[in-house]
Order: sequence, then structure tokens, then C-alpha cells
Amino acid sequence: MAPNGFSRRAALTLGGGVAAGLAAPPFRRVRAAEVLHVNTWGGIWERAAIKNLFEPFTRDTGVEIRPVSPVSFAKLAQQVRSGAYEFDVTTLGAGEIIRANQANLLEKLDNTDLVKNPPFLGAAFQNGASSHAFATVIAYQKAKYPNGGPQNWADFWNLQKFPGSRCMQRYAARILPIALVADGVPMDKLYPLDINRAFASLDKIKPAVRTWWTQGQQSQQLLRDGEIDCIALWHARTLELIDQNQPVEIVWNQAEIERAYWVVARGTPNRDNALRYLEASVKPERVAGFCRDSANGPLNPAAFNFLSEAEAARMPTAPAYRGKVFEQDILNFGGDVNAATQRFERWIGT
Amino acid sequence: MSASLAPARSSLRSWLLVAPLIVFLIAFFLVPLAQVAIMSVSDPEWGLGHYVEIATDGFHLRVLADTFLTALIVSLCCLLLGFPLAYAMAAAPPALAAAMMVVVTMSFWTSFLVRTYAWMVLLGSRGPVAHLFSWFGLTAPELLFTRFSSTVAMTHILLPYMVLSLYGVLKRIEPSLPRSAASLGAPPSSVIRHVVLPLAAPGIVNGLTLVFVLCLGFYVTPILLGSPREQMVAGVIGQQVEEFLAFGEASAMAVVLLASTLVVLGLYHRRFGLDRLWG
Amino acid sequence: MHLALILLGAVVLAFVAMPLLIVVPMSFSTAVSLEFPPPGWWTGYYAAYFSDARWTTPTLNSLGIAAAVSVLTVLLVTPATFAVVRHRFVGKGLVNLALMLPLAVPHIVMAIGYYAFLADIRLLQTFPGIVLAHTALSVPLAFLVLSANLKGFDRGLERAALSLGATPARTFLHVTMPVLWPGFAAAALFAFVQSFDETVVALFISGRDTETLPRKMFDSIRTTADPVIAVVSTLLFAAVAVLVIAPVLWRAVSRRRSEARP
Repeated sequence: MAPNGFSRRAALTLGGGVAAGLAAPPFRRVRAAEVLHVNTWGGIWERAAIKNLFEPFTRDTGVEIRPVSPVSFAKLAQQVRSGAYEFDVTTLGAGEIIRANQANLLEKLDNTDLVKNPPFLGAAFQNGASSHAFATVIAYQKAKYPNGGPQNWADFWNLQKFPGSRCMQRYAARILPIALVADGVPMDKLYPLDINRAFASLDKIKPAVRTWWTQGQQSQQLLRDGEIDCIALWHARTLELIDQNQPVEIVWNQAEIERAYWVVARGTPNRDNALRYLEASVKPERVAGFCRDSANGPLNPAAFNFLSEAEAARMPTAPAYRGKVFEQDILNFGGDVNAATQRFERWIGT
Repeated sequence: MSASLAPARSSLRSWLLVAPLIVFLIAFFLVPLAQVAIMSVSDPEWGLGHYVEIATDGFHLRVLADTFLTALIVSLCCLLLGFPLAYAMAAAPPALAAAMMVVVTMSFWTSFLVRTYAWMVLLGSRGPVAHLFSWFGLTAPELLFTRFSSTVAMTHILLPYMVLSLYGVLKRIEPSLPRSAASLGAPPSSVIRHVVLPLAAPGIVNGLTLVFVLCLGFYVTPILLGSPREQMVAGVIGQQVEEFLAFGEASAMAVVLLASTLVVLGLYHRRFGLDRLWG
Repeated sequence: MHLALILLGAVVLAFVAMPLLIVVPMSFSTAVSLEFPPPGWWTGYYAAYFSDARWTTPTLNSLGIAAAVSVLTVLLVTPATFAVVRHRFVGKGLVNLALMLPLAVPHIVMAIGYYAFLADIRLLQTFPGIVLAHTALSVPLAFLVLSANLKGFDRGLERAALSLGATPARTFLHVTMPVLWPGFAAAALFAFVQSFDETVVALFISGRDTETLPRKMFDSIRTTADPVIAVVSTLLFAAVAVLVIAPVLWRAVSRRRSEARP
């Protein structure tokens, strides 16, 4: 019994001929000895990362990068425990990076240039390399609300004024602050969070939430198929749908800005290359290219030297949105993020 | 392979034939299974804490109750739909019955995922069912991500088990028996009620047991198209492992699920003998 | 009531068939995700499936795993089935029950069991790990199929061969096998399909380099829900159609042939 051997041989003959030759993007043909597996969010995000981050890294180092999806915080935890690695590098949001450090899931960055010789202020945060800012915004079906849909989170919560189905991300640290804003807490007085009040606020919208999305492409599919009237999702996913002429409106008001960080899974055999990738991924010209194509906001200020004003205007960090948006303050969360996540999961299920 | 050997030697030889499989099953089935039981009382620390929690915290009991209720509803739906189909197959001329059998068998063999996906297409808000509503000038209700959608899909997926169980017994009922009852003056409905149904009872019990047990452990379909508020046990178990690596809690739930399954199967076994169930 | 039942049966048959049939037109659709009826027709998603290593690799993985599972299952189950069907021995009832047990345990229970177990022996996310797990889960069906065939086997043939001086091994090879091969084939097929379709355990124990087709389909349904899934579904459905219809036709043809003979 050698399934390993024969299927690889089969993959070489069949897959090699049919698949690799025809449509595989060029980076796949680089038969580098070393391979790094990077967890991506698929869709527009992955295309931007391949072009601006992965391919340049392979050109510099000869290390091939293979995207792996879907993104799963759970997988990160599992692989450290089991020693079987799906990916070496992934991105985490602020809530997850706290949970990941609590559970000791991340490689330390202390010996990298991100810490020893930081390229910009805050380049490293909680063992993550600061990459980009993204926003959770309101989007709605234009056809459902011809006279304009919800303009803020209180509207989103208002089922009398804006009847229709709702959908949000299954991500406690991101949803709880939004629930407080909807309940009337001023955006600059959110933290530390009043977690009980947030759940009480969530109770009010729960009957309308048909499902909770976990993957970026899933949120787009739900909106595109008309399954959901009104959704809280990432700005870049919404912009992509609008660019594809989907009848969808985006609301920037009260957008929740959050930072994304590249991290290395603790114990991965590819640790050294993974850390090199992290250093390379925050280079200004690369992160600028990634953000241009994925409509995210670069956290490395030098990246703006490579971006036009028009390009910067699509990003949640653009000056035009200042004052209308709020940012996460995860270090001042107001409770144990992991416990809040457990409670959130149970709350969803009942 | 003659039968004239002494019983003791024959026993030894039989065991030699059986041994590789038994060793394999112990190593790669019973050990992993036992690990679940052990984790339920040892992760993160030794004790019955997880079971106490399941029995007392409301959430788990609700999930369990939901799961049993769903399994019950799905089993009854399968019976209500499966009986007429099996009856029609038994009554149909052989060629037609064979064609119907092909349809049922193909459904049986088609992957759960394929059928789940098909229901997502059917019940989606841009799907044929929604179009049907709008032809009649009605707004389609929300179908996906509800108890309705997961119940329909699970019924559809498990229906072939019921039909195949029922068809077996209905086919065996002497075709002339209902007719002779009818010729004695019994109206057709009472023939079905008093002659066919009692004779089909073993098949009904069989089908109900199979569907109920399979439904208890359903994982994929409720996750993909069910309501997030009405989770089934399997989904919660998977989530505890995937999201929180809470192996202890997940294992305790798994043990409860396994025990429920075994109780149902045990009841069946005492009454009918397990080897008939999948026969 | 007789007629009403039959009419209702016809409706239920449509209910059974409809979801199977919808995946076929869906696979030729130009829709981006779950839209039906299709806004337009093309074969682009077929090209997408066959040219994307992210689909073809899991397909080949699943085929390889299933092939290994069917071989291993038949090798393990065959001697045991002969013993259980033909011999009386101490502990036979227990063996019988043990062979059926994998059918009684919900897959999610085994999924977490295998997850912890295979991680401990460093076989998580490896081909051998998946093959071992799937083989254990395939045992009961293969055993049921094979024992049903074996019970119907006329042992007089074997006795005749043995009494004519053939060794047990030769008897098995030249008498038992030729008669029972459809049983072996069916057992192997059941094991193959069981492994090829198995989703829940594979979701937990397969990994990046050992991804199986059901796992890929599950992820894909959950993220993009694009018609590539319909393409895979149609291909699987076609394979099932061949498997189900071929024996029916074959039996019909061979019956006619044997009737034609004097």
C-alpha cells in the first residue's frame, strides 16, 4: 500500500499534463526546491497577494509560494497542536492575534528586522507584521431599498424602518463593537467594551440574521445571489461587487477599521523562509501594490509614496473618511477575547 | 475446508482467518474510538466536568433536543414519502419497477454533498422554487438557512434508505393476498390498513431506525444549509474541535451522541437482530 | 387508496429525481453562483475544472485513496468473511458484531477520534492515515456484500474439486474465485465508493497535500458556490449512472443470451 507514491505519480502524469501546462499561473511553474504555503482569503485578495507579494518574493529568493485557502483560525491552532501544517503563514485580524498569542500559536518576531530595525513605527504588533487596514462596512441591495438603505449601524439594527434579512461575520471581536455602536455608544467611547450590553444589543437583531458568514467569498456570494438584503462585510469585497455592476450599495459611514497582520505558525519547518516572507511583505512598494489591487489601506506609511491620490481614496484609511469611521482597540478590549468568542458562538447557536 | 475437523482446531483456524481484520479494527477503529471516550474525561483535566456541563448548562440539552426532534421529523417525513413510492414500485409492472429502482438507487449512491448542493440551488432566492412563487405573483419566503431547508434536504438524502427497506417487505407480501382480501369484500383502504401495513411493519421499523440513526449524526447538510440557530449535535462537536480545540467538551458530546445511537440500535437489536438492519 | 398511493408515489419519485437532475443544466450555466434557471450556457466551468490543479489534484487524491482502500478492505475482509459464513467457532457472535460496529458509530465521532489518534502517531494529513481510517469505515459494507454472496455459493463445487485432488489454494483460485468474483468486485466497489464519498472524517484528517474531493467540494460550496461544483456533481452523477445502469443492462443482455442458447 503506497498511496502516497502512486497518486503523486498519477498527479505528475495526468495533472502535470492537463493542469499545470494549461492555465496555471506562471508562479506555479517555478520548480523551486523550497515551498512556502500561505493562507489566503481567495478571490480579489488572493490575486492581489500573488501578483504583488508572492511573485516578487519568489523572484528574490527562489522560494515558491503556494496559496492555501480557506482561511481558518482554527486550522492555525490545530496545526500547532498536531504538527501537521496546512500553511506556514497566514493573516490575522486584531481579535485573532490576541487569541493566537494567548494560545502560543505564533512564532516570535524578536530576531527579525521587524523588531530589531523596524521599517516604520508599529511594524510589529503581537508577533504579527503590520500589513494593511480594512473595514467592515454596511452593504445592501439597491432593489430592496430603492429610497436608500441603512446609513449607520443603528439603521442596520432597525428592522421596522429597514425590514429584510441580515448577515454578519461570525467573528466576535469584530461584531461586538458594532453592536455597541448600533446601541448608541459613541464611536470614540467604545473601549473597553461593555460586553453584556453588546450581547443585549445583538439579541435585538438576531431574528433577522439568516446566516453568519465565515469566508470573504461567501459574503459576496450571499449578496450576489440575493440571499441577503443587508450585510456587514469587508469594504474591498463590496467594491469588487460594485465594480462587477452588481446592484449593491456601500455605506462608508461608521465603518469599522481594523488592522491585518501577517503571522508565522509556531513550529513550522519553514520558519526561516516564513520570517523572511514577513519582512518582505511590508516593503512599501509591495504593500502598495497589494493594497492598490485589493483596495486595502497600507499600514506602512511609505507605501503612500507609490500610490496615487485616486487610488488612496478607495482605501478605508483615506482622509475623506476620517471622523466617519472608528478603529478597533483590541488591547483595550474589555474582557477575555477568547471567552467572548466562546460566548458568541453559543449565543449564535441558541 | 472440510467440516470434519475437530471443533477446537477449527476454532483456531477460524480465528486465524479473522485475526488480521480484528487486529486492524482494534488498532484503527476501537483505539481511536476509545480515545474519544478518554478525552471526554481527561481533556483538559480528569473528571466528569464536561458531562455535568452538558446536563446542566441548557445549551447542550437544547442542541440535543433539537437534534432528536429533527431526526424524528426527518424519519416521519421519510416514512410518509417513502411508503407511497415503495408501494408504487411494488405494484408497478417489472420494467417500470426496475426503472423506478434505478432512480432510487442513483439517488442512494449520489454523494451527500452533491445532493446538498442541489438543494442550495433549488431553494436559493434565485432558484427555481423562488421563480415559481414569482410566477404566481407571490414573494418567495426565505428558504435557505432555515429548519425547513435542512429538513427537506436531509429527508431527500435519507429517503432511499427508507424506500429500499420498505420495498423489500412490500415486494415479499404475496401479491394475491390483498386481492383475496378484497375479493372477500374488504374495501381497498381497509386492505391497506389491515393487511399491507401490518405485513410491512418490519420494513417500516427498519427504515425508521436507519433513517433516525443516520440523521442523529448528520454533519454536512445542516452546516451548509441549515439555520445557525438550530444546530445539530454533530455540528456543535465539529465546531468545538475546529474553532476552540476543545477536545474534551467535543468528545463528551460525541459520547452522548454515540450512546444515543447505540441505545436506538440496541433496542432494535433486542427485538429484531442487528444483522437484519442493513440486510 | 391504492390509486392515490401510486399517484403519490409518482410525485415522490419526481421529488427524488429532481435534485439529481438539476445539477446537469447547472454545470453548463454561465451563472457566477447559485442562479437557476441559468442566465446563459457554456462549457467554461468544465474547462475550469479540468485545468485547475486545485480541483484535479483532490480528484486524483480521492481516486488513489479509494483504490487503496478497496484493495486493503477486500484483503482484510475476505478471509474473515469465509470464517464467519462457513465456520462455527467460539466468539463468532462477537466477531460478527465487531465487524458491523463501524456502521453504527456516527462519522463525526470517528472524525475527532481519528483526528487525535492520527496526530499522536504522526499520520494526520497523510495518505496512509486517510486510507487506514477509510478502510475501517468500509469494513461493514464490504463484509455484508461479500457474506451475502458467499451464503449463496454452492460448496459442492469446492468439495468436488478437493475430492479430485486439487489443493485448497488451487480450488480457491480456480473454482471459488471464478464463481464469486462478482461478489469480490461488489465488495471492492462498495469500499471504493464509501471512501470516495466520505466527507466528515476527511474534513478533519485530510490536509493541504492530501486534500480529498469531498473536502474540496465542501470548502467550495461554503465559499464561492460556483458551478464548478455542479460540474463535479455531474461527473459524479454520470459515474453513478454508469455503475447503477450497467449491471441492470448486463443482466438483461446475459439473460437474453442464455435464453437464446438451446
